[in-house]
Amino acid sequence: MDFNLMVEVTPLLIKAAWVTIDISARGLLFGFFVACGLVFLQSFRFAPIRWFARGYISVVRGTPYFVQLLLVFYGGPSIGLKLDPFTCGVVVGAFNIGAYMSEAIRGSIESVDKGQAEAARSLGFGKVHTMVSVVLPQAAALMIRSVGVLAIVLVKNSSLVSIISVVELTYQAQRLIGSTYKPLEIFTLSALMYIVIVYAVMGIIELAYRRATRYTTQ
Amino acid sequence: MEFDFGPVITYFPTLLKGLGVGFLVALVVAFMSIVGGLLVAVISIYINKVVSWPLRFFIWLFMTTPLLLQLYFLYFGLGEWILIPAILVGILGLGFHYMAYNADIFIATIKSVSDGQYEASRSLGFGHGATIFYIIVPQAFIRAIPQLGNNMILMVKDTSVLSAIGVAELVYASQYAISVTFRPFEFFIVIATLYYLINIFMELGQAWLERQTAYRR
Repeated sequence: MDFNLMVEVTPLLIKAAWVTIDISARGLLFGFFVACGLVFLQSFRFAPIRWFARGYISVVRGTPYFVQLLLVFYGGPSIGLKLDPFTCGVVVGAFNIGAYMSEAIRGSIESVDKGQAEAARSLGFGKVHTMVSVVLPQAAALMIRSVGVLAIVLVKNSSLVSIISVVELTYQAQRLIGSTYKPLEIFTLSALMYIVIVYAVMGIIELAYRRATRYTTQ
Repeated sequence: MEFDFGPVITYFPTLLKGLGVGFLVALVVAFMSIVGGLLVAVISIYINKVVSWPLRFFIWLFMTTPLLLQLYFLYFGLGEWILIPAILVGILGLGFHYMAYNADIFIATIKSVSDGQYEASRSLGFGHGATIFYIIVPQAFIRAIPQLGNNMILMVKDTSVLSAIGVAELVYASQYAISVTFRPFEFFIVIATLYYLINIFMELGQAWLERQTAYRR
């Protein structure tokens, strides 16, 4: 192990790690909106809108994220969609994870006992009110866990954005390995940074989970 | 904005060749990751801590870091010692990655087989090894099938990532064709469609397999 080299490249990798965090955080935020939109579309009574949402989810889940990224980045300009690499990473990441997340959200909402909603409705709560104050708080615990798993997937997926030359952690690691020929040292450092990020996300999920379940007894 | 799928048809044999390579890789990786994952799980549960801790560390490391980073590490790391073709690096990288995921599943399902099974088998005269091999592992394997199926579907999609280290699979084959024809949109749409079809078939296969083994679970 060449420790001098490791000390030397650490600032570069930390800078790249911030890009990874940045791209994942934005992707998660927009992905959540996409997911909520998809869940909303699936609650429509007009069937073609539901089919559209189902079809979108099926196609996104059925094709590799990598191919989606390449399609939008390289194929996008020919349909008038020019995005810079970073934006492309955020957008594709969001629309990809949104499809998975909408399934997680829908699953957790459906896991809440139907009687809860019926009781609330019969007590005079409106549809939206029932959703917001009765169903969602109960679905939250499950939702946080499953969305959290997807957040970690998103962090790991963000490494693929290096292919469209966003200078994030994997891109920087690959470039440094290529220029220094010290794969073990660079891998150790960059893996460590991914692990720190993943554990930070897991910690946040755990805190959110505890907060969501603070009134429920296990 | 005009679409021309002519080049895609011209280069379809190239794509098919890429598809073949991807299929081959997926097949080898599926075998390697399932058998290897089972071995890792059995060893890390039943053999002493000296052996099991490194294995647990391996599972943990491969599950918390991205596949692409692991691939680059193997590609450059192995490349330092021996001259090794990209496809082998790809198989090893993808294989290890999913071996870790499968081992994690097998550890959970092996632990879910009740202790009574082990005790009953031992009291009927089976040895320790024979109990694990004939009683515990088959039950754990059947229980793991739904999640294994999910992992294998993810794995087939991840074969596309191998193009990054130069494995001549579908995406890599198309990149060559795109550099000649300048039709990225058409090619990637066709590739996405191919992956989608494969995915549908795999999901049908998974559902069938789950139905077939449901009564044993």
